[in-house]
Amino acid sequence: MLSVKNLTRTYNSAEGELVALDNVSFSVKDGEFVSIIGKSGSGKSTLLSLLGALDTPTSGSIMVDDEDIAKLSLVKQTAYRARKIGFVFQHYNLITNLSALENVMLALEYGGVPAKDRKERAIQLLDEVGVEGGMRLRKPGKLSGGQQQRVSIARALANQPAIILADEPTGNLDSTTGKKIFDLLHKLSRTENTTIIAVTHDLDIAGKTDRTFKLRDGKLQQA
Amino acid sequence: MNPISRGIKNALRSPVRAGAIILMLAVSITLLVSMLVARASINDKINEVKATAGTNITITPAGIQGFMGGGDPLTSEQVSTIKDTDHVASITATLSDQLGDDDTDLESALELGSFGQRQQRFDSDSSETTPTPPSDETGEDGSRRIMGGPRTTVTGTTTPDNNGGLSFTSGETIDGGSGDLVALVGATLAEKNELSVGDTFTMYNKEFTVKGIFTTDNQFQDSGLIIPLETLQTITNQAGAVTSVTATVDSSDNVATVIESLKGSLADKADITSQVEQAEQNVSSLESIAGLALVGVIGAAGAGAIIILLAMIMIVRERRREIGVIKAIGGTNRSVMTQFTSEALTLTVVGGIVGLAIGITVSGPMTNSLVTNGQTTASSNQMPGRQGGPGGMGRPTNFNSPGAQIDQTFKDISSTVTPETLTAAIGIMLLIAIVGSAVPAWFIANIKPAEVLRSE
Repeated sequence: MLSVKNLTRTYNSAEGELVALDNVSFSVKDGEFVSIIGKSGSGKSTLLSLLGALDTPTSGSIMVDDEDIAKLSLVKQTAYRARKIGFVFQHYNLITNLSALENVMLALEYGGVPAKDRKERAIQLLDEVGVEGGMRLRKPGKLSGGQQQRVSIARALANQPAIILADEPTGNLDSTTGKKIFDLLHKLSRTENTTIIAVTHDLDIAGKTDRTFKLRDGKLQQA
Repeated sequence: MNPISRGIKNALRSPVRAGAIILMLAVSITLLVSMLVARASINDKINEVKATAGTNITITPAGIQGFMGGGDPLTSEQVSTIKDTDHVASITATLSDQLGDDDTDLESALELGSFGQRQQRFDSDSSETTPTPPSDETGEDGSRRIMGGPRTTVTGTTTPDNNGGLSFTSGETIDGGSGDLVALVGATLAEKNELSVGDTFTMYNKEFTVKGIFTTDNQFQDSGLIIPLETLQTITNQAGAVTSVTATVDSSDNVATVIESLKGSLADKADITSQVEQAEQNVSSLESIAGLALVGVIGAAGAGAIIILLAMIMIVRERRREIGVIKAIGGTNRSVMTQFTSEALTLTVVGGIVGLAIGITVSGPMTNSLVTNGQTTASSNQMPGRQGGPGGMGRPTNFNSPGAQIDQTFKDISSTVTPETLTAAIGIMLLIAIVGSAVPAWFIANIKPAEVLRSE
């Protein structure tokens, strides 16, 4: 269960105080697939950063399994990211000089999985997202965008996180591939009972999620 | 794959860039190793020269060198002053004289030759009178005598066996503190006059008994006589006079102090030289070269550190996104820093191995080049008057001319790569890697994944 209450994030800029998120509150059940839509600069990425403990809020709380992650120390935030959160980025953000397999194994290493178990688990995850055989040993540069995003999803799933935060997961893909990736995420939310929060511009995709929130000028509304 | 192996793999991920960094590092480490080897070799030579310099100080009357020059011998008061100077452990006092045919029944073992004839050419013309001991050719008033033939040197000394330095073919040493009419005879002189231990001969109308026959590796000394100092002072009417004092100082650390003290107490009445003083002159150029080599070591180490530092800053800045992603998926600051430090270490170690190999190869020529330049400077700084000066007849010289000795000192330096030098080079290399990684590590720690990912 993810519960966000009165979440506010402001930044100081040359023009004065900038409010990126303004008193945002919502909750998401386990295994729910939620989408967040909004224009560029509406605060979508800021919200994902706060939910992923990459940033700390100016005020408010983010409760995950009865723990306020906004109040975690830096060390605990890192552990939280490693074990409870999976990130899927628009530009995949795979490590370019590691193979698909090594990219997934890297996440397993940070999640504390023993070295002897990592390879087997990574192969299993890659199989699950449809990256099989020789593709597993290819470096990201030798994979298509869709394949890279599949590897990215496998990496996000590596430590069986409670929540997957996906920032424009289909934004860099053609519509057919994008649909396949969305279907994969949707399937995972059902089979793995993983909460997925996806930021997207694609209203078609947003319409197929369990719930859709709309962010405008830092304020959240249910669409 | 752990952070260390990822760092090693990353170090070589761009072969051209890695090659360029390694090449630059190799050049600086080559210079570093060469300078370390040169410095160690030169310091070894400096220590060797200083260690062999000893603790003796030689005091001779001002203006007198051997049997040349003019002036007054040192007096007994001056000898006492020397003996009583702080840190002087012992002294050896010496008075030398030369015997003509009329002074002794011994036949000189040396031929005059062209050198001896030239040195004696004034004696037969001189109208000056000099105080001399009585002989058949002079009256009791001490009028001049004509000395046309080769002479025999007699040395009166308080340490007749030169503190164990003489090698006896027969007999034994004599007591230098006595006034007895006894003598040690050089092997060549003894052979010329068919003398053996127990035989007697006449000198200044006194009968002396041969107590020992000695040999050295010096033909001049083997053609002379050694008798107790007091005996020579008495028979030559020079009570208390000495022509050379060798003072032994209790420690090499105190030699400079004693010299300073003696220069103060004897003023311009004596010339004071020491082995340590001359050794310091010899090694001063070497010390300059060692200093230059140290500057080279520091410069090369600094250059190496800057090369790896800039390279790592460039790499870290270039891979900010990667670092942000690693942190976002749960990588700790420590694991990221370990990975990048391992990357810096890999580059440094590869550059270091190449640099060490080249450095060891070129350290010999580099040392020679440094020393040759130093030698040129040192030689040009030598005063012309001091180069190749006369050794002086009978003068107790232990050193060659300074110029010649510096040349020899420089020639004797050979570069040797010791385990200590290698350890120092490797230690500095690791230090370079650590210093080179420290600032990038700080950059890494301050990378905020949210900012990096937002800036995409």
